Amino acid sequence: MSGQCDLPIRERLAAWIEHLTHVLPAQAPIRDFVHHNTLHGFQHLPFDEALAAAHRLTGALVHWPEGRFRECFEQGRVTLDDLSAALDDAGVADLDAEIVRGLNRRDVLLASLLAGDEEAGAQRVAWLRREGQLADDSLFRHCASALASLPAADGPDAGQALCAGVGATRTWRGLLAEVCGEDVLERTRSILQRHLAAHLDLGVAAWRNPARERGFFAAWRASAGLDLAWELDELPNVRDEILHLPDDPLDVLLDELPRLLPDESLWHGYLERLSLELPGWSGMFLWRDRNPARGDGTPVAMLDYLTVRVLLERLLADDLVRRLVGWPMGVAELPAHFQARPDELLVRRAAHEAGLPEDLLGQAASLVEQARAGHVDEAAWQALAESLRPALLGVQADGAAWRLSALLGQLGLVPGDVDALGAPGLARLLDCSASLKALQRGQVWLLAYERHYREQLFSALTANHPRRRSSAGPSAQVVMCMDDREEGTRRHLEEIAPDIETFGAAGFFGVPMYWQGLDDAGRSALCPVVVQPRHLIRELPAPGAEALAGRRAARRERRLRWRERFYQATRRRALAGPLLAALGGVPALAALTAATLVPGWFTETRRRWREQFEGRVPTRLALTAEGADPATPEQPRPGWSEDEQVERVAAFLRMIGLTRDFAPLVVIFGHGSSSQNNPHLSAYDCGACSGRHGGPNARVFAALANRPEVRAGLAGRGLHIGDGTWFLAAEHDTCDDGVEWYDLDQVPPAFQPALDVLVGQVGEACRAHAAERCRRLASAPLRPTPWQARRHMLGRAGDISQARPELGHATNAAAFIGRRQMSRGLFLDRRVFLISYDPTTDDAGGHIVEGILLAAGPVGAGIALEYYFSSVDNERFGCGSKVTHNLTGSFGVMEGADSDLRTGLPWQMVEIHEPMRLLVVVEQTTDVLSAIVQRQPALQELVGNAWIVVAAKDPESGAIRRYCPRRGWLPWSGSAVLPQVARSADWFAGESEALAPAIILGGVR
Amino acid sequence: MKTLLDHLADWVWLVPVLPLLAVVVTGARVLLGRAVGDAAEPLTARLASLAAFGGLALMLAIDALALAHGAPGHRRLGHWFGNGNWEASFSFMLDPLSLILGTLTALIGWLVTRFSANYLHREAGFHRFFIALGFFLAGIQFVLLAGNGLLAFVGWEMCGISSFLLIGYAWHRPVATGNALFAFVTNRAGDAGFLLALGLAAAWLGGFEWTALSRAREISVVNDRLLVIGFVIAALAKSAQLPFTAWITRALEGPTPSSAIFYGAVMVHAGVYLLLRLEPLLVQVPDVMVGLVVAGALTAIYAWLCGLVQTDVKSALIFGVVFQVALMFVAIGLGWTTLALVHLCLHAGWRIWQFLLAPSWLSITRERPPLPPAWLRQNQLLYTIAVQRFWLDKLAQTLLVEPTQSFSRDARGLEEHFIDRAIGQPGHGKALHHDRPLVRVDGLPGRLLASLSDSLQHIEYRLLLRGKGGAAERLLHRAGAYLRTVEGLLEQPRYLMMAVMATFVVIL
Repeated sequence: MSGQCDLPIRERLAAWIEHLTHVLPAQAPIRDFVHHNTLHGFQHLPFDEALAAAHRLTGALVHWPEGRFRECFEQGRVTLDDLSAALDDAGVADLDAEIVRGLNRRDVLLASLLAGDEEAGAQRVAWLRREGQLADDSLFRHCASALASLPAADGPDAGQALCAGVGATRTWRGLLAEVCGEDVLERTRSILQRHLAAHLDLGVAAWRNPARERGFFAAWRASAGLDLAWELDELPNVRDEILHLPDDPLDVLLDELPRLLPDESLWHGYLERLSLELPGWSGMFLWRDRNPARGDGTPVAMLDYLTVRVLLERLLADDLVRRLVGWPMGVAELPAHFQARPDELLVRRAAHEAGLPEDLLGQAASLVEQARAGHVDEAAWQALAESLRPALLGVQADGAAWRLSALLGQLGLVPGDVDALGAPGLARLLDCSASLKALQRGQVWLLAYERHYREQLFSALTANHPRRRSSAGPSAQVVMCMDDREEGTRRHLEEIAPDIETFGAAGFFGVPMYWQGLDDAGRSALCPVVVQPRHLIRELPAPGAEALAGRRAARRERRLRWRERFYQATRRRALAGPLLAALGGVPALAALTAATLVPGWFTETRRRWREQFEGRVPTRLALTAEGADPATPEQPRPGWSEDEQVERVAAFLRMIGLTRDFAPLVVIFGHGSSSQNNPHLSAYDCGACSGRHGGPNARVFAALANRPEVRAGLAGRGLHIGDGTWFLAAEHDTCDDGVEWYDLDQVPPAFQPALDVLVGQVGEACRAHAAERCRRLASAPLRPTPWQARRHMLGRAGDISQARPELGHATNAAAFIGRRQMSRGLFLDRRVFLISYDPTTDDAGGHIVEGILLAAGPVGAGIALEYYFSSVDNERFGCGSKVTHNLTGSFGVMEGADSDLRTGLPWQMVEIHEPMRLLVVVEQTTDVLSAIVQRQPALQELVGNAWIVVAAKDPESGAIRRYCPRRGWLPWSGSAVLPQVARSADWFAGESEALAPAIILGGVR
Repeated sequence: MKTLLDHLADWVWLVPVLPLLAVVVTGARVLLGRAVGDAAEPLTARLASLAAFGGLALMLAIDALALAHGAPGHRRLGHWFGNGNWEASFSFMLDPLSLILGTLTALIGWLVTRFSANYLHREAGFHRFFIALGFFLAGIQFVLLAGNGLLAFVGWEMCGISSFLLIGYAWHRPVATGNALFAFVTNRAGDAGFLLALGLAAAWLGGFEWTALSRAREISVVNDRLLVIGFVIAALAKSAQLPFTAWITRALEGPTPSSAIFYGAVMVHAGVYLLLRLEPLLVQVPDVMVGLVVAGALTAIYAWLCGLVQTDVKSALIFGVVFQVALMFVAIGLGWTTLALVHLCLHAGWRIWQFLLAPSWLSITRERPPLPPAWLRQNQLLYTIAVQRFWLDKLAQTLLVEPTQSFSRDARGLEEHFIDRAIGQPGHGKALHHDRPLVRVDGLPGRLLASLSDSLQHIEYRLLLRGKGGAAERLLHRAGAYLRTVEGLLEQPRYLMMAVMATFVVIL
């Protein structure tokens, strides 16, 4: 940012705000929840550097805590081999250098990783000493005495460190919270939160700030100037100050920033820090600033928000400083103040040192508390500081001894060895173990954890290589979404009907479109978020059913209006409210009783009643464009031209490698999820359809492929689909495992017998799949029959009390791009995205796989990375537990009624997730893949920066090579022995944890 | 059949006690470290919901028999404590009012318990939540079914404590714990009213029985008014009417089901119940009824205005609740008690559903609610007042919570600086005499004991050891006589009663 110093401040501010888009959460209003990389703004950096940068900036954890990894080690989910290989992978230098006699660096680091790096804390050490456990531990005693002879390291000057951080690593609020234990942010948030929510509100409040049309700053100021809360909060002059502020927020900002920080070069960093302190609200504000069209017309400018934040920070920090030192003083003078009072500072900071003995902590806390209420003598600070200094040193010494004895214990050394090594040897050991910083340790553990699963997958793929069969004359071909959840469905379908072929593809099936269903008021984009559709497809009543449709629309409208009236009026209407609440009382109690006792039945019955009331309308799709108007994202054209239709169908079929041997029935399966009482509903839907149901895409594709004109066009392009083939569409509900079939009335009678068989097989597969899902759900029956399992899923989906209607993409870990033969007959535990691609039909440059990687790569990486970050630090990257969530302004959730806006995934979704990067295995040669990555910047970023791990499986030999950005393609060699079972159910029965791959003998014909 | 009715009604105490039993069992399991992991959850949840269902079934059975044979009315099950002038008893009121509300509450309680079993699965506070919920169900049933004010007051306090525990459910969030404290302290103002009324009732009416309270016409109007005002304050505080409304708007930090049952459907109506219960007393004092109308009307206006500007679903709903509860107060003030009762029941039924479905708000509603009237829309001052909720929570914070906090700080200071020093701490003793380094003391009692032992040694040495008939023996005889007199006095009922009351007050 140094090059910008000469720009006018307005432009610099604009650049800073632009930069904020990289660090703040970019979650859209929750109705349109779509998975994306939580650290999208850091994606231009290599994965590890990005994690480090994010950690520096937000303080968030970026790996699982080491304790979790060590648990995995104990369960055998990470082995010593994995850890050792991970050290190589991470590029740790001089692994074979000898540290002390007989031990090289690798041994020491491995022991250090397994010993952990926790501090013991004075309380624990003292307790262990008292209880005699530590006194008996001669290793600890030896370590402690050996270390005592080492010189203690001098800490940096506390006062210096205090000044240095502000602006660069923290705000005044952070500093003040550290020295006086009072967090200004709590107050800032309480003051701002109602105004922020009111300004951004998309449909909860009836009454809005009259001044909102003039922007947030003006609206806030109009209210704050009339607000008596300042006086009640004992901030008497604030209201006057607010009343006399300049009208332009920029002027206010430029007045306030120098008061906080005289040094102009720190402003950018300060604003960034400040926005990151309330990441949810800042992020939503910025998102609305950047996407004005998605709002409700109220002007939203990030500058307004920053101005108010800076102003409040200054006002409240000044007030706190005044109370802290006892006289009015600018916050910027605080470091100098404390530099003159080192004892006071030491005590104030020690009050947060968790490792100190409790009595000292108590004394420090009570002195700080006293200083808040009145004056404390210099002598009191000094006296306490004197007794704190040796205690602080003692904590350090104990900590070092603790770590050392854990390390030595892990290395298998005995007290005698300690004496033999002597102080210098021990110091070398400690140095070596400490040379791996906290983030690197996390990185090594992550690499080891990823490697363990990767090895299992590679050996599964290798073991499965000789089992490939090309099926001749399949009875049906089923195309599903690439979604990891559909891996299970496909596997069960193949087990039940070995003569069925399955395919996987991004769930919009190559038909990006705006869709407007019969009941929809507006259109919605059904395609990956990065694609902008240019065509509008509408569902229209079938010819002759227009009257029915009109009746349905009217009745539906009436029903929804009444529902809306009930829920809205009972909360705000003076007269209608009590009347409607009284009317609704008895039915509501009855409904609640039914929904609690028999949720599945109740939801089903309600659906049936609704349908009876509104009536069923046969519909058709308006696929073909009338004219040839230009199609743009702003002005989507209704329908495609004939050529476009042929083009889309041909491209899709080529992409999944389905170009000949068409079965009599080809089924396109979209998917969606139906759950109740769930604000994060769309996070469970199809990620390739912008977080919506993918059924319409399937239906549109099938309808296109059945059109005789399209078939003729396809034949012209070498794709011969005979009259003996019919395309069907359906939608799979991943929550209740039900299937909704589309347009069955249009199936020619000749296909009816085959269709009957197929519908039965698909139903059976879904039930078997439901049984498999039950194993990971604590409230599901143990070892259920398929029917029981399906009933359970129905109940679960309809249950308003269920915080985990399904587990979504949890545990997703890999993606296979290749022919189904490479993975057919493998049990992959619903962890793998399966994308069909036939390398033999691709051209030499691999243009088809290039397209697949470009479309599926970001979708898969977005899902995997969002799950990754939400599970490693659910407090900061995720949105915490659902149980206290409170929908706010129709755009997000808060915890309770006064908190930051929470973004990311709720804890209930990621609870069983195993955070690792997506491993993408492509059935293609390394040369082709290298060339593709070379020429596609988007892939360069994902693959070259290691946000995903790519491996190539040679289409002929089956040899696997993994790509490492540092070392290139690394050949894999490992054993290819896998357990073999007859059916999936034999492998997963009774198991409730993640399962390793196995060979399913019944899965391959 | 008649005997069956008699006996069944005598078992009504089980309705509040069953949830308490579940609480005790779950609490014991938590204390013993048995409530860990997935496997421990079903037992906790099943116990809680079984207890709730048991209560519901019992209530339904009593209802059925009451329908057939008339309500059992006031039931005295046992003596609690008392003296000649007044008595506190274990008694239950089974008139239509209590039966209706008790049954409704039992139903809602059972449904919410079942709802929570799924909703809170694998939460860190799973067992804690069910303990607090069970405690609340017991408390609210005591309030609704108790035959006397004292038992109702015990339930009243149980509700307050469980509400405190559940607002602070997410105890790691400062906002949640701060709000829990805020609600708790504000509610104590209402308790003061309740206690005052109970004390007056004991003094003037000779008991706490609801049936006795309806005899209030025997006492003067002035006394009656004072009595009623105490109860009215309690009702206003519990039902979050002005000037106490602020606490309920800050109480939404707990899990959704607890917000639903406490502030949406059940506890918020407890004040209305209390007034309905005291109807015979109320009608004696028309001026207090006018006061109720005024308080209700003001609260309604307040809640309506604030409700218009709320941006989050739970706050929007809570103002809707307060608004309608305020209408019930107005109705009671106007003497339309039946209307208030019907409104209460239907309102509770609707709100529990609406609150539990709060997370569905996005899919239920389609558009922004209609704008407020034009005269209001552009009024910046009124808007600010509504957004700041008339500054009520700030005022309550300044007037109630902060004084309480500083009082407790002072008490702590007193303890730290004077009492602790006076009492002394083990292990910090200093030798009193240079010549006796083994005698180490700290604090006043230590010094007293030391000097006592000194003088005892002195006595032993100087008096007792010098043989029989000394001054010591005479003194001891006289002291023995004094002690016998004190014992005799203490055995008399009035002093015994005083001691019991003192204990009781301390416990409360």
